[in-house]
Amino acid sequence: MSLARYVGIRVAQAIPTLVGAMLVMFVLVRILPGDPARLIAGPEALEQDVQRIREQLGLNKPLYLQFVDYMSSILRGDFGTSIKYRTPVIDEIMARLPYTITLALAAEAIAVAIALPLGIYSAIKPRSKASYIASVLSLVGASTPIFWIGLIFIYVFAVSLRILPSSGADTPRHIILPAVTLALLLMGNLTRITRAAVMEALGSNHVLTAISKGLGSRVILVRHVLRNAMIPIITIMGIQVGALLGGAVITETVFAWPGIGSLLIDSLFYRDYPLAQGIILFIVFVFIVINIITDILYAYIDPRVREVLWRAGRS
Amino acid sequence: MEKVLEVKNLRIYYELPQGIVRAVDGVDFEVYKGEILGIAGESGSGKSTLALAVAGLLRPPAKVVSGEVLFMGTNLLSLTEEELRRIRGKRISMIFQDPSTYLNPVYTSGFQVAEVYEAHRGGSWRRYVGDVVKLFRMVKIADPERRVNAYPHQMSGGMKQRVLISMAIAEKPELIIADEPTSALDVTIQAEIVELLNEIRKETGSAIIFITHDLALLLEIADRIMIMYAGKIAEIGRAEEIAKDPLHPYTKALLSSLQYERKKRLQAIPGSIPSLISPPPGCRFHPRCPLAFDICSKKDPQLYRVGGRVVSCFLYGGDHGGSA
Repeated sequence: MSLARYVGIRVAQAIPTLVGAMLVMFVLVRILPGDPARLIAGPEALEQDVQRIREQLGLNKPLYLQFVDYMSSILRGDFGTSIKYRTPVIDEIMARLPYTITLALAAEAIAVAIALPLGIYSAIKPRSKASYIASVLSLVGASTPIFWIGLIFIYVFAVSLRILPSSGADTPRHIILPAVTLALLLMGNLTRITRAAVMEALGSNHVLTAISKGLGSRVILVRHVLRNAMIPIITIMGIQVGALLGGAVITETVFAWPGIGSLLIDSLFYRDYPLAQGIILFIVFVFIVINIITDILYAYIDPRVREVLWRAGRS
Repeated sequence: MEKVLEVKNLRIYYELPQGIVRAVDGVDFEVYKGEILGIAGESGSGKSTLALAVAGLLRPPAKVVSGEVLFMGTNLLSLTEEELRRIRGKRISMIFQDPSTYLNPVYTSGFQVAEVYEAHRGGSWRRYVGDVVKLFRMVKIADPERRVNAYPHQMSGGMKQRVLISMAIAEKPELIIADEPTSALDVTIQAEIVELLNEIRKETGSAIIFITHDLALLLEIADRIMIMYAGKIAEIGRAEEIAKDPLHPYTKALLSSLQYERKKRLQAIPGSIPSLISPPPGCRFHPRCPLAFDICSKKDPQLYRVGGRVVSCFLYGGDHGGSA
């Protein structure tokens, strides 16, 4: 059983998920009040002009026919044309994607760099100061709305201190505020999960065996505690990166970061059906890919998972 | 006979919010080279805490309050962590109760055994794969060359216990502590494991402390038996003596609960093991003892010598001594 074959099977299994997600979002986007044809035509347009635009866009057809049309064009690799920008949807997404990837990776990197050591340390020394800091951080991170943190950051660092830019993506310094804001949001969960996972691994019986063998405490920590604690940590990291790659909608909007998230908001306000559908489809796709990657990582860490995966792949 | 281990007046308490649990409360005993000392007692009698303390594996909230654990003359309780590490696995090793949770599921069995050599001889574990195969052959794991690459979930419970045993004997330690090594296994496998431990003792000359609640098993394999009750020693004696002529009323009760006859009621000991947070005053067994008299509820019995044996009961010593 090769890895390539396993991935192929997983991708095939993802097709029904994709179709289902497309159906849901196709309907949801159209349930929104508002009419793209009227938005394009402008407030003073004649009814017949609006009708003409509607026919051009295919919006006069019954919903199920629209869906069939959409599906068949996707199968041909055509994700439609943005109503607002009049460019192919795929081009719009690709233009914004580098920004979203940069922001996502920067935020996750900051979060991991702080949360993992903090979580591990506070699990080993549960009564230390670091442990209390970790608890407070988790609580704050989990309970503070992100737009509020974002606005406070803008007020402090951009308005009062004037040391960092508040919006846009013109220079590398522009990424600092949105990345740190997002990282704060991620850190809380990541610290909490890391702490719990390491504590559980520390208390397991095989650690007692490792001590009784005469292994040193650093070897025990790395081999017999951290490796076993990695599965929940990787899961949460996968979910976080997946969510971020789908566009950190609120953060990108607050900081006017030109990524996928702000593009999605934009397309929804404009009732740009093809663009909104394209973006959501992309987000679903990203989640599926991240899921496959985390499963492969599980298999790498845990031989029991490896066996189950290979067996599932063979049948 | 050379003493491998000498435990003197050992007290181990657990400091819990509900109060202090006197898990091991003043215990004295010795283990001699090459012998099997069986320790028997009910759950909660302090036998596992005692085992962990001797192996230097106690973790908070357990705390040694007093006493000495002399291993080949050195007090283990006064050693630094690094000095202890050098003893663990090399000179004192441990076999645990439940083989399925005491192996790390994410590594091969061979790697986990090779780690013992890595810890004490240095170098990469890969250098020791050949030694591990030999060990596996010694503990009668079939197809050892292949099994070193097997993960714990690919092995049966009995085989996993053999892997743990091979870990414990890798460095031919002077002392092996086996804490309920057969309780989680099928009866037929139990017998094989016991037989294996016995062979290993003969081959390596290691002393074995064999802890179990199964007195019948100890009567078969142990040279000497120590009976524990509620954190204290009830009696210590040679296995034959304990079987034929038990001294302590608790030992007598334990033995009669073993003698099962058809159509006869099982001889259970009335009452249950006392709380170790607030144990009864005097002898801890007196509320359940059929032979208790007035002194038993007032004073704590010492360990009295009766021939070559030791017993903690006023029937055999003290000011109000009875038959002894």
